[in-house]
Amino acid sequence: TMSMHTKFDLFTYWTSLISEINVQLDQAIPVKYPEQIYESMRYSVLASGAKRATPVMCIASCELFGGSRLAAFPTACALEMVHEASLIHDDLPYMDDDLFRRGRLSNHTVYGVDMAILAGDALFPLGFQHIVSNTPPGLIPETRLLRVVSEIARAVGSTGMAAGQFVDLNYSEESLVEFVQEKKFGELSECSAVCGGLLGGATDDELETLRRYGRTVGVLYQVVNDVLEFKKEQAEGGGKKNRNSSFAKVFGIEKAMEKAEELRVKAKKELDGFEKYGEKVFPLLSFVDYAVDRNFDVVGD
Amino acid sequence: EKPKKDIDSTFNFNSYMSQKGISVNQALDKAIALKEPFKIHESMRYSLLAGGKRVRPVLCIAACELVGGDEATAMPAACAVEMIHTMSLIHDDLPCMDNDDLRRGKPTNHKVYGESVAVLAGDALLALAFEHIANATLGVSPTRIVRVVSELAKAIGSEGLVAGQIVDIDFTGASDVGLDQLEYIHIHKTAVLLESSVVMGAILGGATDQEVEKLRKFARCIGLLFQVVDDILDVTKSSEELGKTAGKDLMSDKTTYPKLIGLEKSREFAEKLNREAQEQLCHFDPAKAAPLISLANYIAHRQN
Repeated sequence: TMSMHTKFDLFTYWTSLISEINVQLDQAIPVKYPEQIYESMRYSVLASGAKRATPVMCIASCELFGGSRLAAFPTACALEMVHEASLIHDDLPYMDDDLFRRGRLSNHTVYGVDMAILAGDALFPLGFQHIVSNTPPGLIPETRLLRVVSEIARAVGSTGMAAGQFVDLNYSEESLVEFVQEKKFGELSECSAVCGGLLGGATDDELETLRRYGRTVGVLYQVVNDVLEFKKEQAEGGGKKNRNSSFAKVFGIEKAMEKAEELRVKAKKELDGFEKYGEKVFPLLSFVDYAVDRNFDVVGD
Repeated sequence: EKPKKDIDSTFNFNSYMSQKGISVNQALDKAIALKEPFKIHESMRYSLLAGGKRVRPVLCIAACELVGGDEATAMPAACAVEMIHTMSLIHDDLPCMDNDDLRRGKPTNHKVYGESVAVLAGDALLALAFEHIANATLGVSPTRIVRVVSELAKAIGSEGLVAGQIVDIDFTGASDVGLDQLEYIHIHKTAVLLESSVVMGAILGGATDQEVEKLRKFARCIGLLFQVVDDILDVTKSSEELGKTAGKDLMSDKTTYPKLIGLEKSREFAEKLNREAQEQLCHFDPAKAAPLISLANYIAHRQN
């Protein structure tokens, strides 16, 4: 069955989930007093064209074990909130200093640095609150919910994404490129796969497999992103400052693509053990190919 | 029935605070080991272990013990609330916010570690607070721990701490700030976190819903009280006595209670809040309520 996944319609699966996720995120952040903070949070979280790869991976992992999509949505949305929070902070002037994000002005460029810091500070706890308040009672044992909270907290924390950002900003050794990639991009992907597994009822062994799979796909996705970006930079001239962590920039495009193929094989191999779940593994398998091939444009409404 | 004793004569507040302070400091020290990347963890520890009176953690533990729980049960949440308090101070002190150079008598986090590390250390402390509650709380039903997570999350986000800071920034330098706005800022910047400290402790200690609500009201009063007293101290004390830049509120034209209603009326308001707070504790065993009563008095009468 494993080769059948090429017939799986990832595009439809993904885009229909995007619509549902967007509706839920919209409802999760209503505008109240003081309005500016909610507008700033919404500006980033509800940016049109967001791919929602993180929440979609969470839902696909949950469904792999026969878990209900309804049980996974709150956590999926929370993952997107904390993801946006960390992007907002990463874009700040004394961090990556990015004026743009997804082709439009970054949060602090529109709302100011103070508001951007606070929008991030508000999105982290909103994510946790969203999980514990909105996961349908009875579907998930509370001990699992607490493991989800802990998993997300660890992923964004001082040994996870914050560590990746810190090393990215302060070191430029080639030997650290992989560390930064794993922390900045592998960590959240790993977290989203594991959270989905937790919500779907995966065993501890299966969670470990999802951990390795998620991390590998996250890094793979970024390695290919960096290649695409680097090609664009070479064609147009210029490029981003403050990024020491681009695999393509450091080792060249050819090496980066070799690395990508290596990661593709590794990610798929992790899924071998899930063959018993039949077609339910197709979304996770298809993500791996999508990460390299980018054979369609995922655009939310 | 035991004869009623004068609580103040049997309860030694100073030794209670220093004892609890030592336990909290030990637990905080253990909660953040120094590991790679060192600079982030150093920065987190620099602000978290900088001293301070640990009012929030002690409130959390005292509330837990009041309803029959023990210190160890409340300790992870007590540490978490101090982590959150610290992260909000680190971020509020940044140049783009309140631009403070001094905190608890030491250079602020970004002065020592730079702005990028200060932002990341704050983010990491926020995350660690939740991780710590979820992982380290023992002997409590998951239902109660989930309630605690929700309580903390609500207190620190856009309905709590962040809302307070936003409105504070909005009104800084404005000449038309009224009592309502001032109270909004203080309730959100200060009171909600004190409230959640007490409420988390109560939930973890096994309080009934009715007890939780009484303690919530108690905490709300002492939260506002805390800030009113802060405003008074800012006018009446020097920087050296406070360990932070005194008179800053006046210099930056910030609205304070003394400025709006005068020093005398501010003091009266503080007394009223303290009375209201202590009324909430009437229904509890007076001996067990002694720490919270003394904490309220301490917040009302502190000198720095």
